[in-house]
Amino acid sequence: MLASLAWRNIWRQPVRSILSLIGLAFTSMLLVFMLSFQLGSYDTMKIGALGLFDGFGQFQPVGYDDDPDISRLLPEWEAILEAVEIKGVDAATPRASSFAIMAKDETSFGAAVIGVDPAREPLVSNLSTTIIEGRYLAPEDDATIVMGEGLARNLGLVLGDTVIMLGTGNDGAVAADVLELVGIFSTGISAIDRQITQMPLTRFQETYNLGNAVNVVAIRGADFKGVERAATDLRAHATENGVVYLDWKELQPELEQMIILDISSNIMFYIIMVVVVVFILLNTLYMSVLERTREFGGLMAIGMRPRQIGAMVWLELIFLSLLGTAIGIALGAALVIWLEGVGIEIPGADEVMAQWGMTGRIYPDLSFLSATVAPAVIVLSIVVLGFIPYRRILGLEPVSAMGAA
Amino acid sequence: MKPIVSCRGITKVFGKGELAVHALAGIDLDIMEGDFATLAGPSGSGKTTLLNMIGALDHPTEGEVEIDGLPLRGMKKSGLSDLRLHKIGFIFQAYNLVPVLSARENVEFVLRLLRVSPAERRTRTDAALAEVGLQGMENRRPSSLSGGQQQRVAIARALVARPRIVLADEPTANLDSATTAELVDLMFRLNQESGITFMIGTHDPRVMQHSKRHIEMTDGKIDSDTRG
Repeated sequence: MLASLAWRNIWRQPVRSILSLIGLAFTSMLLVFMLSFQLGSYDTMKIGALGLFDGFGQFQPVGYDDDPDISRLLPEWEAILEAVEIKGVDAATPRASSFAIMAKDETSFGAAVIGVDPAREPLVSNLSTTIIEGRYLAPEDDATIVMGEGLARNLGLVLGDTVIMLGTGNDGAVAADVLELVGIFSTGISAIDRQITQMPLTRFQETYNLGNAVNVVAIRGADFKGVERAATDLRAHATENGVVYLDWKELQPELEQMIILDISSNIMFYIIMVVVVVFILLNTLYMSVLERTREFGGLMAIGMRPRQIGAMVWLELIFLSLLGTAIGIALGAALVIWLEGVGIEIPGADEVMAQWGMTGRIYPDLSFLSATVAPAVIVLSIVVLGFIPYRRILGLEPVSAMGAA
Repeated sequence: MKPIVSCRGITKVFGKGELAVHALAGIDLDIMEGDFATLAGPSGSGKTTLLNMIGALDHPTEGEVEIDGLPLRGMKKSGLSDLRLHKIGFIFQAYNLVPVLSARENVEFVLRLLRVSPAERRTRTDAALAEVGLQGMENRRPSSLSGGQQQRVAIARALVARPRIVLADEPTANLDSATTAELVDLMFRLNQESGITFMIGTHDPRVMQHSKRHIEMTDGKIDSDTRG
């Protein structure tokens, strides 16, 4: 009875209710879109930053993350590669890395040298897709190297040139080699393009005297969230093999901090939007309560309890907020689903976004969280604040209420 | 015959100190079962205030009101609501119908509050609307009914819960002569046929003509109480 009456009361002032609904729906739509955009940009950022090189997670020897010394090794890395059997993980690749002086003629620069499995590495890292000259490493390669365009330029190298690599091997002996430059990559991230080189893992192991060992095993899944969900199994797999598993937050803590900072600043904006729309709606309903005081007096006179009248008004508020936010969710979801396909171009942001391995186009990501959390906060706030008109109605006396203008 | 309403030493003072207004000054009154009583007097004589006291809508400053043997003093708001719902029917000058409900739903609303079963609700609502001559208009909302028709809906709503007493405050004030005559006849007939007790606050002579008991008030006091 109360629900039916509440629903009809909403429509006794259709223009006012429709305006309230539009306000609610628009705010909810905007919040759904903004949250989806924000969360989508984080996913794009994570995939861009981690997919370029680190991988979505890594198995490492204990202590390697704090002190990435070449002597910290994974001798039984083949067993660790079985991580691909865990749901959510699609590929795994071994890597060994160290630092070396790269020299050509009289010019030399320090660089990070990473030994990779040319067959497996492209399944985990996107670096091979950023080759701008030549080619990426091939399984049959031996004394070859690829490097960033900044480093190649600094060394004055062109494709086919040889570069002398001079480092320190696992046994402390000199690790020296002469490698042919077969490819130059450009990631857009200057730190990588100026410092990173990759060479075949077997050659690296031989040069640096690692035997068959590697330093890390990096993994990737088709879906970033799938790897996140598999974290418990991945950690158990690491424990079984006497190593540690590092997720994306541990691999790129600065990325996590940036996301947290971004969320914090946006939450303030979201809260302001929610507060504004909630108080506008509450004000509208409170005015409606004041206008209907005389009617409430009549209802009290015929035997309706004040708390029943209060509940009816509270229901009006709940119905209005549920309807408005539902429309907003539907519109917001439709907008996001469309933009998931075409993306949103952010003009002039290419350089900033390239730091995170992203292009200038962001694809929002609709999730249950992004579609419901903000509208749910609106509804919940309205439900809680609905106590204000409820309390006013509880305090009404029939005679004074019926005498109200 | 036992009294449905019993008032003893009722006073009502609005405001305090020099601004205090004595709306009722020591009213003693019994309304008996089956009465068709009119309460008359000039504006400000205390008619509405007394009806509000009897209807458990307001509290006296002093004195005691009993409805059907139940003293109102000390009753909580919810208890007073229940008492009004079960024992008192109200007819107001401004009808006080719920605008978003149809005539049928307005009448049925009281039965819903009483948690009467749907089948019985329908039977009793139909009977009440037929009693006041509103067949065929059950689904019309108050805004599409005339003043007289709205007051008929209000009468049906007041009667449908089978109250012990119906209190009407200036029920014909907004109506034309012909409609007034019809409604007064209707209330009188209901009193005669069903024995429902009516107490009507009015200064309309057409209403007073029908009264079996006439109470005259001035300055918050009962001047005369005559049975005709």
